[in-house]
Amino acid sequence: MNRGKWYAFLVPTISVLIAFLVGSVIILLIGKNPLTAYVVMFQGAFGGSEQLADTIVKMTPLVLTGLAVGFGFRAGVFNIGAEGQMAMGALVGAIVAMSFGALPPVILIPLSIISGMLAGAFWASIAGFLKAFTGAHEVISTIMLNWIAINVTTFMVAGPLAVGTGTPKSPEVAEAAKLPIIFKVQAIELSIGIVIAVIAAIVMYVLIEKSTMGYELRGVGFNPYASEYGGINIKKNIIMIMAISGSLAGMAGIVDLLGVPPQRFLGELTGGRGFDGITIALIGRNNPIGIIFAALLISALRTGSNAMQIRAQIPNDIVHILQGIVIFLVAAERIVAALIEWKKREKVTA
Amino acid sequence: MRIKLFLVIALVVLFSVSGLALRVMMVTDMGGLGDKSFNDGTWEGIVRAADFLGIDAEVIVSYEMADYIPNLSSAAREADIVFAVGFLMEDALFRVSAQFPDTYFVGIDIVPPEGWEGDNVATYIFEEQEGAFLVGYLAAAMTEVGLIGFVGGIPIPPVERFRYGYEAGIRVYEDLHGKTVDILRGYTMDFVDPKKGKDLALAQFAEGADIVFHAAGACGIGVIEAAAERGEGFFAIGVDVDQDYMSPGNVLTSSIKRIDVASYTAVLSVALGTFEPGLHVLGIKDEGVGMSEMEYTRHLVPAEVLRELDFLTEEMKAGTLVIPRTQDELDAFEVPEIALP
Repeated sequence: MNRGKWYAFLVPTISVLIAFLVGSVIILLIGKNPLTAYVVMFQGAFGGSEQLADTIVKMTPLVLTGLAVGFGFRAGVFNIGAEGQMAMGALVGAIVAMSFGALPPVILIPLSIISGMLAGAFWASIAGFLKAFTGAHEVISTIMLNWIAINVTTFMVAGPLAVGTGTPKSPEVAEAAKLPIIFKVQAIELSIGIVIAVIAAIVMYVLIEKSTMGYELRGVGFNPYASEYGGINIKKNIIMIMAISGSLAGMAGIVDLLGVPPQRFLGELTGGRGFDGITIALIGRNNPIGIIFAALLISALRTGSNAMQIRAQIPNDIVHILQGIVIFLVAAERIVAALIEWKKREKVTA
Repeated sequence: MRIKLFLVIALVVLFSVSGLALRVMMVTDMGGLGDKSFNDGTWEGIVRAADFLGIDAEVIVSYEMADYIPNLSSAAREADIVFAVGFLMEDALFRVSAQFPDTYFVGIDIVPPEGWEGDNVATYIFEEQEGAFLVGYLAAAMTEVGLIGFVGGIPIPPVERFRYGYEAGIRVYEDLHGKTVDILRGYTMDFVDPKKGKDLALAQFAEGADIVFHAAGACGIGVIEAAAERGEGFFAIGVDVDQDYMSPGNVLTSSIKRIDVASYTAVLSVALGTFEPGLHVLGIKDEGVGMSEMEYTRHLVPAEVLRELDFLTEEMKAGTLVIPRTQDELDAFEVPEIALP
C-alpha cells in the first residue's frame, strides 16, 4: 500500500465527508432538508466576522488540549488528564494574573501564562513520576488526578477565591493580564489567544520532528526497550513527556481564561475541553498541523450547530452524531483505507 | 392570584390588540432541555405563555460555557424576549444585554451584579429554603431509621438554600416531636451526569439512610433511580419541578420551585407592557415555591403530618416562621414557639 504524503490528510477528510453523508440521512429522517442545514451550519461557523470570531475563540483551547494529548501519544504516553491539567493551569495562572496587577502587560501576560503552564506541567508530572518509578499506568492516574483538580478548583472558586453572590466565581484578572483584542463584535471578543496556540503548534512540530530531544521522545514511544539500550534515560523522558504535555493543557486553561470575557475563573471552566483534546489529537493524527485543522473542524461544527438550532430548528445532537462518526472512522482507519484501496484498484482494472 | 390577574388582563389586551408579533428565545445552560429540572421548568412556562399569546417560542441548547455569549447574542438579534437560564450565565447575560438595549432579557436563578443600572433585564430567584423546609419536615416525620440524606450538585447559593431549608425543617420536626434525625450530606460537583447522583444516593442508602433529597439538577435523575432500585421503604425527594411522576411511589415528594411561574409571568409582562427590570424574589407567599401534591405517596403520610405541613405553610406565609437562607442563619436558627393545631 502506498502511504504517500497525502494519506495522512486523506483519512480524516474522507471520514468527515462520510460523516456528513450519514448526518444528512439522519436530518432527512427528522424531516428537515440536509442541504439547508449544512448551509446554515457553514454560515453559522464562517458566515461573518462575528461567527468567525466565535469559531476561533472556541478553537483556541481545543488546539492546545489537542496538542497536549497528541504530544503524549507521539511519545507513547496516554495523557487522559488534560482536563485536570487545564483546570490547574487556569487556576494558578488566574491567581498570578489577579495578584500582580501593577506589572505591565508585557510582563504580566507571559508570567501568568508561564505559571499556568508550570501548574499543568506539575500536575501531569505527578502521573509521569508514578509511572516512571512505580509503574502505575498513566491512564488511571491521570483520570484520578482530573477529579482532584476539578474538586480543588471548585473548592477554590466557591471558597477562598469567591467574590460576589450568586455564581461561584473568582474576581476578574487584572486589566494588564487580559490578552490584547484583535477585534470585537458586540459582546464577542477575539483575543490573540489563537496566535499563541498556533505558535505552540509550530514549536511542537519543530520539537518533535527536528530536534534531538524529539527524536528521543519518539524513540521512547516507538520502542522503550530499544531506546533504553540505545542510551536514552526512560524514566527521565517519561516524566518530561508528561510535563510537556501537561504544560500545553495548562496553557489551554490560562489562555482561555485570559482571552475570553469574563476573564475570571467561573464555574467548571474546563467543560470537557480537556477530553475533547483526545478526539482532536485522534482526528489530527497527532500531527501538530493536523491538530490545528481538527480543532477548527470541531469548533466550527459546534458554532455551526448553534446556528442550526436557531435558524433551521435542528437539535444540536446532530453535531454529536457527526463528531462520533468522524472519530469512529478515523480510529477504525482500515475502513477508510480499504475504501481508498478499492477505488485505486478499480482505476487500475478499468 | 397574580397569575389569574394576569390572565384576565392578558385576555382583555389580546382582544384589543390583535397581531402580537413577539418572538421568545430561551438559551439553556449546559444542562440543556431534558434535565427534568430548571431548564425544563422555564421552558414549560414559556411554552404556556407563548401558546396563550399565540407567539413563537424557540430554544437554543448551549454545549459549553463559551456558547453563552454567542448564543445570547444571536437570540437577541432574532427575538424580542431572551431567556438566560441558570446561574452560570450571569456574566454573559449582563454583557450581552448591554449591547441590545431594545431586547428584553430574563434571567432565571440570576442576581444582577452590584451597581447594575439597566432597564431591559428582569431576573428571578426563589426562596428555595421555604419549599425545602416542608420536605425536610416531612422527611423527618417519615424516616423509620432516623437517618436521611442530602445530595447537592455544586454548592452554589440556590443549592445551599435548599439544604438550609431542609435542615431547618428537620430540626423543627425534631424539636416538636422529640425524634432524633441525622443527616448525610454529599455533593456531586456536577449538574449534568445522572450517574454521579445515583452513586452518591446509593452510598447514602448503603450507610443506612432511607430518604434522600436531591438538589442536583440532572444528577438527581440518578438519585431517583437509586431509590427505585432499592424499592420499598426507600424514597427520593425531587427538586425544582414535580418529579413525583418519574418513579411513582419511590419519590416521596418534590421541593418545587415554580420556575414556570417566573418564566410565564415574565413573557406576559413584556406582552402587556408591565415589564419590571431588576431582581424578583419568589417565595412561598407568591406561590413561587412549595412542595408537590404527592400524587403517588399521599396515602402513606399520616393525616396529622399533612395538617402540620399546612399549618407551617401558613406560618411561613404570615411571616411568623422565617427559614434560614444562609449558613450563618442556619447555625443561629432557633426553633420558634410553634403551637401545632
